[in-house]
Amino acid sequence: MSDTPLVEAVDLQKEFPLARTIGDSLAGRPARAIRAVDGVSLSIRPRETVGLIGESGSGKTTLGWLIARLHDATGGQLRFDGADLMRMRGAELRRWRRNVQVVFQDPVGSLDPRLRVWQIVGEPIRAQGERDRRRVRERVRELLPTVGLPGSCLDQYPHEFSGGGRQRLSLARALSVDPRLLVLDEPTSALDVAVQAQILNRLVELQRERPVAYLLITHNVAAVRYVADRVAVMYLGRIVEVGAVRSVLEKPLHPYTKALLAAVPTADASRRRTRFRIGGDVPSLINPPPGCRFAPRCPFVIDRCRTEYPALREIPGSPGQTVACHRAEEVRDVRPEELLAVGDAPAPPPSAPA
Amino acid sequence: MTEPVVSIEGLSIDYVVGAGRFRAVSDVSLEIAPGQVVGIVGETGCGKSTLAQAIPRLLPEPPATIGAGSIRFRGIDLVRVPQWRMPALRGTGISMIFQEPLNSLNPSFRIYDQIAEAVRIRRAREHGAAVVDPRTPPPFDYARGPRPTTASALARPFVPPNTEEKARRWSRRGHPELRADVLEYLRLVRINDPETILDLYPHELSGGMRQRVMIAMALSERPALLIADEPTSALDVTIQAQVLTLMKELIEEIDTSVLFISHDLGVIAETADVLGVMYAGRIVEFGPVADVFGAPRHPYTKALLRAAPTRYKSDGPLASIAGSVADVAHPPPGCRFHPRCPIARPVCRAEPPPPLRAAPNLPAHESACHFADEVGAIP
Repeated sequence: MSDTPLVEAVDLQKEFPLARTIGDSLAGRPARAIRAVDGVSLSIRPRETVGLIGESGSGKTTLGWLIARLHDATGGQLRFDGADLMRMRGAELRRWRRNVQVVFQDPVGSLDPRLRVWQIVGEPIRAQGERDRRRVRERVRELLPTVGLPGSCLDQYPHEFSGGGRQRLSLARALSVDPRLLVLDEPTSALDVAVQAQILNRLVELQRERPVAYLLITHNVAAVRYVADRVAVMYLGRIVEVGAVRSVLEKPLHPYTKALLAAVPTADASRRRTRFRIGGDVPSLINPPPGCRFAPRCPFVIDRCRTEYPALREIPGSPGQTVACHRAEEVRDVRPEELLAVGDAPAPPPSAPA
Repeated sequence: MTEPVVSIEGLSIDYVVGAGRFRAVSDVSLEIAPGQVVGIVGETGCGKSTLAQAIPRLLPEPPATIGAGSIRFRGIDLVRVPQWRMPALRGTGISMIFQEPLNSLNPSFRIYDQIAEAVRIRRAREHGAAVVDPRTPPPFDYARGPRPTTASALARPFVPPNTEEKARRWSRRGHPELRADVLEYLRLVRINDPETILDLYPHELSGGMRQRVMIAMALSERPALLIADEPTSALDVTIQAQVLTLMKELIEEIDTSVLFISHDLGVIAETADVLGVMYAGRIVEFGPVADVFGAPRHPYTKALLRAAPTRYKSDGPLASIAGSVADVAHPPPGCRFHPRCPIARPVCRAEPPPPLRAAPNLPAHESACHFADEVGAIP
C-alpha cells in the first residue's frame, strides 16, 4: 500500500439550491441551499477500503457521487491520482470514468429490466469504446464467475435473479472495466443477512485478487467492520471522525460515533432492557445549527460547541485517529455502552465537565 | 398457565397466483400470553409478514386464502369471521404498527384528525355504539351482480353530499375532551411538544416522529395485542434505538402483549421475551430469547446468527449460508432447510421434519429438527 493517495478530496463542498419561493423573492430573502457536503477532506489510497458511515441525510451518498463525478462539486478540490478531477471535461472525463465505477443500493432500480445480462454488464465496456459484440460477450462471460454467477446466464434478464444475484450483476458491471476505485453505495442494505455475508466475503476476496480500492458507503456498522481498513463517520455533511477501523469501532472518540455504536442492536440477550439516551432528531440541512452539528443532541455539549465548529484534529493517545470535537480529550474514555442506561435505573447524568 | 391472549393453531395460508398456488405459511401454531413479547425473525419471503397480517385478517383475500387452522382471540375464531364483519372487530383489541409510517398515515389529514379518529371510534364503542352494525348485509359485490344502469346511477349519485358530516367533523375538532385524549396519547409516546404536532401533516414530521404517531394511534385503541411488523426497519440506527427504547417502556407501562416481527436478530434480541424463527413458511425453532440465541437448536438459527458480521476481515471470512432461500412455490422435499444444512442426512431429504418438540432439559425451547441435539456441535 503506497502512500500517494488515489483520491484526495480537500474541503469538498456540494450545495443543492432550493427553489426560491415567490414569498422569498418579495421579501428579498436570499436563495437558500442544502449543504449536503460541507467541507469534507478525505483521501483514499490504492487498494484501500474506506468505510463511510452515517445516517440518512448525512451526505455520505452525495460524497460518493462527487468522487465518482456523478455530481459536480460546488467548492473545494478533488484529485484523482494527481490529476485535477474538477477540471476534467468531455473525452478526457469519459476516458477517466473507467477508473471509478459505482455499485448502487437498489438492486432492482439500477438494472434496466429490458436489457439482457451481457448488455447490462457489458455497458461500461461499450462505453469505453469496444464495439465488437462478440468480444463484449466474451468479456462478460469471463467476468461473471468472479462474482459467483454462472457464465451461462448471459442472455437472461435481471428479473430472473434474486436480490443477491442482482447485486452481483451490479458488481460485475462495475468491475467490467477494471476500475481502480469502486464506490459501493449501500451494497448490502436491501439484502438478507445470509446473502449479505456472501456479498461481503466476495468483496473482500475480489480486493485480494485485483488492485482496486473501495469506498464503502453504508449505515451498517457491521458491514464496515468487516470490509473496511479505515472508517470515516459523517454527520450532517461533515466528517466527525476518521481512523483505522479497529480504533474507531473499538475506541470511538466523537460522541456521535459513540452514540451510533451504542444504538446498533446486537444479537446478545444480555444487553436487553437497555435504554438509549440520545434524544432528538437529525436536524435539517437547510438551516444547520451553528457550531458543532451534533451539539443539539450531544450529552456532553458545552457552550463553545454551539458557536464554534470544531476542526478535525488528532488528540494525544490516539494516533492515526482524527476527531472533530472540542471535548475529545475529556470524553475519550466514555464507552459507547455508557450512553445506554440498563434496567429501570434512572439514567445517570453525563459526566460533568471537568 | 393463564389464558393466552391469542392462540393460533395449525395456521396455513396459501397465495393463489394465476394457476399456481403456494403455501406462504404452513402449519404455524403460536400462543401469546398476556404481557408477553413474542418475536418472529426470518429472512425475506419466509412468511413472517403474511402471518402478522393474517391475525387481524388484513391479508388481501384473494389472492391469499387461509387454507387451514384457527386464530382464537377472545373466544372468537377470526378465521371463520366473514370479511365484511371484520371492520366491527378491528381495533377492538388488536392494533398494528407497520414498517413504513409514511405509507400508513393518510397524507391528506392532519395528525390530530388521524389520532382523533381512532380515539373517537374507541370511545363510541365504549358507549355501546357499534361502528358497523353486524346486521348490515354484506356490501354489494359488483363482480357478481348485474351492473347498475346509468339511470339508476344518476338517480342515486355515488358520493352523497356530506356537508352535514363535514360540519360535525369541524365542530368535533375542537372538542376539548377528545383533544385532551389525543394530547395524552402523544405525550405517552414522549412527544415533547404535542400541541404543535396536532396541526401538522405526516410529511412534515421526521421518520421517528411519524412512527411515534403510529404507535400513539395503535395504543389509543387500548389493544390486548399489538402487532409490530418491522416497526423500526425504515429508521436510522439512532432513531431506531429511540423508538425501541420507547416501545420497551410502553410495553411495560400499559401491559399489552406484542407480536414483534423483524428480520433483524439484534432488534428481536433487545425486545422479545420468546422468539420464533421462521424458514420457508414454518416456525423451525421457538423458545426464550436467551436460550435460542445462547444455544440454538436448529441449524438454520445457528447459521443466521453466525452470518451476522461481527468481525474484521483479518479474522477470516464470514460464515454465510450456502445456496439460497427455499422457494415456497416449489419447496424441497423433506425438511425445507436440508439443501443448505451442514448436518443434513438422508432422513432429512426423505421425511418431513418432526413437529416442534422441546429439548429434554429445556421444556420451553422447541426445535423442528431431527438432529436438534447435534446443532451445538456445528462449528
